[in-house]
Amino acid sequence: MSASQTTLRRGLEQQFELSIGCIPLRLHVSDARVFSEARERYRAFAGSEAPPFSIYLEDSFQENGENPEFVYDFEAQRAALRAFSAESQFIGAKNAYALDSLLRILLSWVLLRHAGFLLHGATIVRNCRAYVFTGRSGAGKSTVASLSPSGSVLTDEISLLRRENGEWRAYGTPFWGEFRAAGSNSSAPVAGIFRLAQAPENRIKPLRAVETLRGILPNVLFFSEELAANQRLLEILGQAVKEISGYNLAFRRDKTFWEALPS
Amino acid sequence: MSTPNGPWQKNPALAWREIDDETVIISPTENVMHELNDTGSFLWKNVDGRRTAAELAALLAAEYEVTPGAALADTEALLQQLISSKLLVPAAAATDGAAR
Repeated sequence: MSASQTTLRRGLEQQFELSIGCIPLRLHVSDARVFSEARERYRAFAGSEAPPFSIYLEDSFQENGENPEFVYDFEAQRAALRAFSAESQFIGAKNAYALDSLLRILLSWVLLRHAGFLLHGATIVRNCRAYVFTGRSGAGKSTVASLSPSGSVLTDEISLLRRENGEWRAYGTPFWGEFRAAGSNSSAPVAGIFRLAQAPENRIKPLRAVETLRGILPNVLFFSEELAANQRLLEILGQAVKEISGYNLAFRRDKTFWEALPS
Repeated sequence: MSTPNGPWQKNPALAWREIDDETVIISPTENVMHELNDTGSFLWKNVDGRRTAAELAALLAAEYEVTPGAALADTEALLQQLISSKLLVPAAAATDGAAR
């Protein structure tokens, strides 16, 4: 953990760097309790090698001479996000839950620059390849994760997919699911995206690209209503479903579902 | 229901892209994904804010080698669907630039 107290332009702040999906971020936090919670929550994702995107936790919006490129008001938490070209302000994030929520929202937007997206789904690594399982709530994402060997679960909640050097990779994220624990800070090339449904017998059906898109779109985390951002997201998703094999996977609640998957 | 001759243009508030021979259209403000098959995609690609239904039908007839009458009927039916779904708007009503 690279955390240090320092005095910055906004007064006494603590900061630490983290990297999610190889997206470097630096949190600037003045509230000691929130800092402590965040440091613990994101411990496995600490550190950053590249110049980070700064996130300032503020009590109110701070003018910085720029117009925000992305704005999100998180009314349920009385919190808000203002994102600029090289930094973001989280306003009113008084606890780790609100910080976590705003971080997901920000990351979904930042990933547009990195040919990536967040998907509500579990990712399991098997034979060095990432199997991404998605579906509606209750479809079995956490069940699949619970049936997988310890250490193979990149995440049981939010998967991060990015296209890098012509290859799609899935990353773990620190966002909690039913495991109540952060995912793994590692990645693997994507073997496929599997749309889950529980059934008495295992059955798999390959999907056309558009069918895969139809399957994943409701589970893609995205919060901007801005047209250009949505156009970019659609470009990324369109490329993903053309290059990643997609399947419908009906599975029964035991480990035999792996036998139905393509190797 | 008769379809006005147009011209029509793509609703500039929508994001879209082609995937294989199909077209996917999403609205940033609604959780709806529209899919167009190859014929619908052909029509969508050729709607440019200037062409009328008759001109689009002529393109369709040439592309799919169908009779002018059948092409016009198909074109009008497709246009009606796209208009009903607010995927197309009258060219004169558009105020913003197209998505792409």
